[in-house]
Amino acid sequence: MTFWERWRIPIMLAPTMAIVIILFGGALYYGFLQSLGWQPRIGNTELSLDAYNNILFAGPQTEQFWRGLVLTLWVSFASTFLSAVLAIGSALLLRQTFVGKRVATFLFQFNLPIPHVVAAIGILFLFSQSGLISRGLAQIGVIGAPNQFPIVVRDSLGIGIILSFVWKEAPFLGVIVLAVLQSLGEDYEDLARSLGANRWQRFRYVILPLILPGLLSGSVIVFAFTFGSFEVPAILGVRFPRMLSVTTDRFFRDPDLNSRTEGMAISMIIAVIVLVLVFVYQWLSRRAIRQE
Amino acid sequence: MTHVYLDKLTKVYPGANEAAVSDFSLDIPDGELVAFLGPSGCGKTTTLKMIAGLIRPTRGRITFDGEDVIAIPAEKRGAVMVFQNYLLFPYMSVGDNVGFGLKMRGVDKRTIRQKVQEMLELVKLPDISDRRPNQLSGGQQQRVALARALITEPRVLLLDEPLSNLDAHLRDEMRELIVSIQRQLKVTTVFVTHDQEEAVLLADKIALMFEGVLQQFASPDEFYQRPISERAARFFGGVNFIDANRNGNKVETSVGNFVFNAKNSDNAPEGDSVLTIRPEQIAIGHDVPNGENVVTGRVRSRIYVGTYTRYKIAIDDCEIEAIRSADLPGEINEGDEINVHFPSDRIWFVPRNSN
Ligand SMILES: Nc1ncnc2c1ncn2[C@@H]1O[C@H](COP(=O)(O)OP(=O)(O)OP(=O)(O)O)[C@@H](O)[C@H]1O
Ligand SMILES: [Mg+2]
Repeated sequence: MTFWERWRIPIMLAPTMAIVIILFGGALYYGFLQSLGWQPRIGNTELSLDAYNNILFAGPQTEQFWRGLVLTLWVSFASTFLSAVLAIGSALLLRQTFVGKRVATFLFQFNLPIPHVVAAIGILFLFSQSGLISRGLAQIGVIGAPNQFPIVVRDSLGIGIILSFVWKEAPFLGVIVLAVLQSLGEDYEDLARSLGANRWQRFRYVILPLILPGLLSGSVIVFAFTFGSFEVPAILGVRFPRMLSVTTDRFFRDPDLNSRTEGMAISMIIAVIVLVLVFVYQWLSRRAIRQE
Repeated sequence: MTHVYLDKLTKVYPGANEAAVSDFSLDIPDGELVAFLGPSGCGKTTTLKMIAGLIRPTRGRITFDGEDVIAIPAEKRGAVMVFQNYLLFPYMSVGDNVGFGLKMRGVDKRTIRQKVQEMLELVKLPDISDRRPNQLSGGQQQRVALARALITEPRVLLLDEPLSNLDAHLRDEMRELIVSIQRQLKVTTVFVTHDQEEAVLLADKIALMFEGVLQQFASPDEFYQRPISERAARFFGGVNFIDANRNGNKVETSVGNFVFNAKNSDNAPEGDSVLTIRPEQIAIGHDVPNGENVVTGRVRSRIYVGTYTRYKIAIDDCEIEAIRSADLPGEINEGDEINVHFPSDRIWFVPRNSN
């Protein structure tokens, strides 16, 4: 092997790797330093864990943080799970042959390129108490007045946020699942059928395990994204509890530059939680597949 | 053990102009191994899937032991398919793959484990239950696929080109294994192949199909001795076709007049027809005596193929091929004039203009 043959791939990857390492690693390093109080511009060069202590245990924002964490976990899990379920269901339907299949597939993927902000505003228009649905229902007399419509946006359970994420992410996962299903063809299912598997068993023991690797990778992306995403909870969230990304943003925009330290600390905590959860999630689901 | 009967089975795929399978009728006796033979795209898989219940026939009937099974869904029909590309479930161990059918029926785990072991022994792979499919060779995967099909004690076993992904020597081994297991379990089996030799080596009877139409359903040697058409004969390696006119046992051809008295000669077409004979059944040589059904020809070329030699011989305007065992006495060279004998019980006739 010549030098070039041996090092071709690493050399070709080098520019990309350099960008990733410098941007990501550098930012992480600098962010971590800041979370320890490193802010030379305002004269802080002493390092301490105060910010972490303030957030996690004994600061004015501690309750906001913990309640925010619970909300964030709930929203991310619920959004990911619901998106995955909808994705599987719609992919299973869309791969069949039926009248209007092309139109349905187009509509299904239609919102993929739409920004999340637009999705959030759309949800607001539709589902708020002054939104289209509540006014429509009031008009036809299903509810007495628009404000009798249940609060599903700007609600403390984050239902509006979840709706908005699901609306965006279900098609994303659906496209992945559909691609996997189409590349597999129907032979596995035919085989299982001739071996005596009924419809449910074919789903449970054949389709699900076959699409799971693709679905898992996609779900991890969705989970990590919803966990850290900012614009949707900023539009559709309430003041308390706030999702962590929104809280972080408040810290950064605080005129008191010392708040940046706390903001960075939360960012670091989010990063660690996401990494750990993604890891656990993958490990658990791999194990679940293997046990079948 | 099931007697399978197909009655005018027809499949037209949605949007297709022509039927993939048309009026396919076949009687598969209890416990026999039948090969579906035909070129790619002739409808073999389609027919198999209709028997399995995976494709709904457009028309026609299927009965197992006299019972109409069209309305019985595939999962309850007991006709198990084995696919060409094995299709082992990659996320399951070999043992779980084999036990799949029993698990679907809710059989308890201990019984499953025991039956899995039996099946793996049957296919001569007793020690691989814990392995993953991707750790197996192609031949092993195909055997596991076979074990997985057999564990449910199917009424009918449907094998769709199970050997075509294997290399030559594995193919022989696997073919023999399939035949021996089939003989042992006596499960009614349909074996799909596009390889004529494979069909001959393994089947009790062969169903030859072209373009979705059954041409001939007969034992392997009948395809050699009494093909139904020139095309069927060619599919089985026939190369000699001479225009003829047959009247009872009198035959006129451009190369001479012959006598015909084969067994079952009733099925042979009369009048304008085509005489055919297999290259190995033509006797040639300087020592072939003159007489009935003997003409003279000139050797155009000879190719030595190991145990035999293949000759091209010109008789008047006609060229025929003959095969002669390499250790017969008497040398035949290119350009020699020799006697050519068309044995009266070996010549056969197929319709003119048939394809
Ligand atoms: N799902 C389908 N939809 C439409 N046409 C089909 C479908 N499956 C098969 N066909 C057509 O039906 C005909 C028979 O196909 P089939 O798969 O039964 O052939 P085969 O004999 O099994 O061929 P091969 O030896 O290549 O496997 C072909 O012309 C094929 O193109
Ligand atoms: Mg086929």
